[in-house]
Amino acid sequence: MTARFKAGDRVRTRAANPEGHTRLPRYLCDRRGTIETAHDVYPLPDERAKGVSLELCKKEMLYTVVFDGREVWGEQSAEPLSVSADLWDTYLHAEQPT
Amino acid sequence: MNDEHDHDHDHEGHGQSASMASRVAALVAKLEARGILTGAELDAAAESFLTSTQRAMGPALVARAWVDGAFRARLLTDANGALDELGIDMTHWAKVKLRAVENTDRVHNVIVCTLCSCYPVALLGPSPSWYKSLAYRSRVVREPRAVLAEFGVELDPSIDLRVWDSTADLRYVVIPRRPEGTNGAGEAELAALVTRDALIGTAVCRV
Amino acid sequence: MPSTHDVGGASGFGPIVREAGEPPFHHEWEARVFVLNRRLMQRGFYNLDEFRFAVERMPPEAYLNTTYYEKWFDAIERLLAEKGVMP
Repeated sequence: MTARFKAGDRVRTRAANPEGHTRLPRYLCDRRGTIETAHDVYPLPDERAKGVSLELCKKEMLYTVVFDGREVWGEQSAEPLSVSADLWDTYLHAEQPT
Repeated sequence: MNDEHDHDHDHEGHGQSASMASRVAALVAKLEARGILTGAELDAAAESFLTSTQRAMGPALVARAWVDGAFRARLLTDANGALDELGIDMTHWAKVKLRAVENTDRVHNVIVCTLCSCYPVALLGPSPSWYKSLAYRSRVVREPRAVLAEFGVELDPSIDLRVWDSTADLRYVVIPRRPEGTNGAGEAELAALVTRDALIGTAVCRV
Repeated sequence: MPSTHDVGGASGFGPIVREAGEPPFHHEWEARVFVLNRRLMQRGFYNLDEFRFAVERMPPEAYLNTTYYEKWFDAIERLLAEKGVMP
């Protein structure tokens, strides 16, 4: 499987999580971030949590995505910071560069 | 939910814990009766986990990185490969990929798992209760500087805060800054300056 | 499906309480639950994501009012029952 994104690409996380197990935290839903690292293909936890075997489970690229604190907590956020999370391809949309 | 409430979690009454002990014992007895596992096997596993010498290796890893620039570079690009050199195995229930992130005079890194309690157990042992607490998990991604201040860490305002939320199969470890005034110190001496909290990013190393 | 566990950015959980010289486990049964879970996963009774999901499926009141290893034990018991290992 080829990686849809590379380091430096702008992405937006999906707007809301589906029912069931997933690993995109709510505070990072519908947020713009930057791909920091394209790691490797990993089994999708959303499927694994249903008991799907490793063999049959969908595998997707995993990325470390970095978000600016103001994007996550608003321009008025008290502290400058960046926060990153490790996110599967399904959680991400391509975002036009700014 | 108030503070007292959260506080109670880690200091439950004796009666509650005694009842948990008997529930756990009952389940283990049932598993044993079905031939799935034995209590002795669990005791041995717990003993071996608690006496593992590997846990002292987190500080050793940092000390090596402080004295050996080439090792430090390998640790930052391929942490598992660097761990292999020191004979550290990242297998817990499965082998996990470790990523080392380095504190500098410009960046300070902090690790959390907001969704559950992901932590480099194979390297650092079981995580402290505060790491697993709702208070830490909810706050450190939003106000890391305030959280660090509560831990006694005051950072220069010019230092960028980077929070790593461990949401997937990677585990993180922080390589803290080497304290001033440690030129000429040996690896063992340096390792003694590295606390567990420094490896999570909620402490800095001091002489 | 509860999302009680998904607490990043939430307010109101108060100060972070630390315990000086905290032992790895506070009770022997906690160590047992810890190794029991690892063993059951190694043996393939369930995987780590199923385990996490089992913890997440706890009713919010229970999730917020139990200790860490009480949640683990609850999840283990429930998974073993659901999978028919220990009905």
